[in-house]
Amino acid sequence: MITERVEAERRAVEHIVLGAFGELTGRRSAPLRYAMMDDTPVGVLGLASGARGLRHLSYVKDEDEFLRRLLAEHGDVPVLRTAALDDVRRALERYFAGRRLDFDIAVDLSDLPTFQRRVLDATARIPAGRVATYSEVAARAGSPRASRAAGNALHVNPVAIVVPCHRVLRADGSLGGYGGGVRIKEWLLAHEGARPATL
Amino acid sequence: MPPLITERAADRIAVLLAKHGEELARHIRRMVRDDDAAQDILQDTLIRAHGALARLPSGANTRAWLYRIATNGSLNHLRSRSRERAALERHAAERDTAAEPETETRTGDLDPDRETLWANVARLPERQRLALTLRIVDELDYAEIASRLGGSAAAARANVYQATKKLRRGVSRR
Repeated sequence: MITERVEAERRAVEHIVLGAFGELTGRRSAPLRYAMMDDTPVGVLGLASGARGLRHLSYVKDEDEFLRRLLAEHGDVPVLRTAALDDVRRALERYFAGRRLDFDIAVDLSDLPTFQRRVLDATARIPAGRVATYSEVAARAGSPRASRAAGNALHVNPVAIVVPCHRVLRADGSLGGYGGGVRIKEWLLAHEGARPATL
Repeated sequence: MPPLITERAADRIAVLLAKHGEELARHIRRMVRDDDAAQDILQDTLIRAHGALARLPSGANTRAWLYRIATNGSLNHLRSRSRERAALERHAAERDTAAEPETETRTGDLDPDRETLWANVARLPERQRLALTLRIVDELDYAEIASRLGGSAAAARANVYQATKKLRRGVSRR
């Protein structure tokens, strides 16, 4: 079977590259695979997945910046460019086209501290078209008085858009901050119909 | 013992491996048909590449240059393996133990026709040599060859054509 040969070659090639990674750079953990999406309505996005799901979806300048960030953040992890990550890419394309605003892709947040993970889990349950406040998210994460900490946890959300931290606003209805820039937060909310488009 | 390469060098190598590791490994492996040798050649390619990276003019085509080092490393490996095989055969003939099974298994995956082919490929001018290996080893089309080596698809086609013509003549002229 051709597909079996292709699969055998893929595995052998991966083995060779991971071997070289270990020998030359000391990076021997399970690999991260990354891909770029260059022209989305919100600019350049970098995606990175491990075996258990998506671990990064970031606003970046270009591939080099994203790659350096991944390598710096994951000191013992080999990082490989991939043409795949198709499920994530397709889900994002559907999102940007407005065909489907919710995501059902696996996200791996297991590296993060418990509180941050709880905040992100609570945020992931805000449906498209709706918003919540920082203190509501803190309460749903089990720490009703930690709204400032919740804001910080959201600010360093490693998986933007898919974990929709842009749906979390200040209690007075103002936008608050956003890692990708407040204009992008505004765009995403308007795209989801949660806020009238301004400008 | 001091580390083989410094931490900053390791970071630069990690960047090259992340971006180009898999395509280079596939290319080398298809040429040498030996996974352990392929890993050695890939590592050697990256160490050489990183050593020369600073001297590479800005705007130079890093990918083309990595393919050049990888292809030449693979050809050197094939050449030294064929020399090793010739030595083994001479040795076996002298001792008159040509049927010794150990020699068989060590050289069992080597095909003399293939070796002659590669020896001839190694003698081609570099642009032709690289274009030809990407065409026959990686089975790339001319546009893909151009994207790896730089230049146009038409130039890639011309290089492959020239290389094929020379190989048909047995690369009699250098």
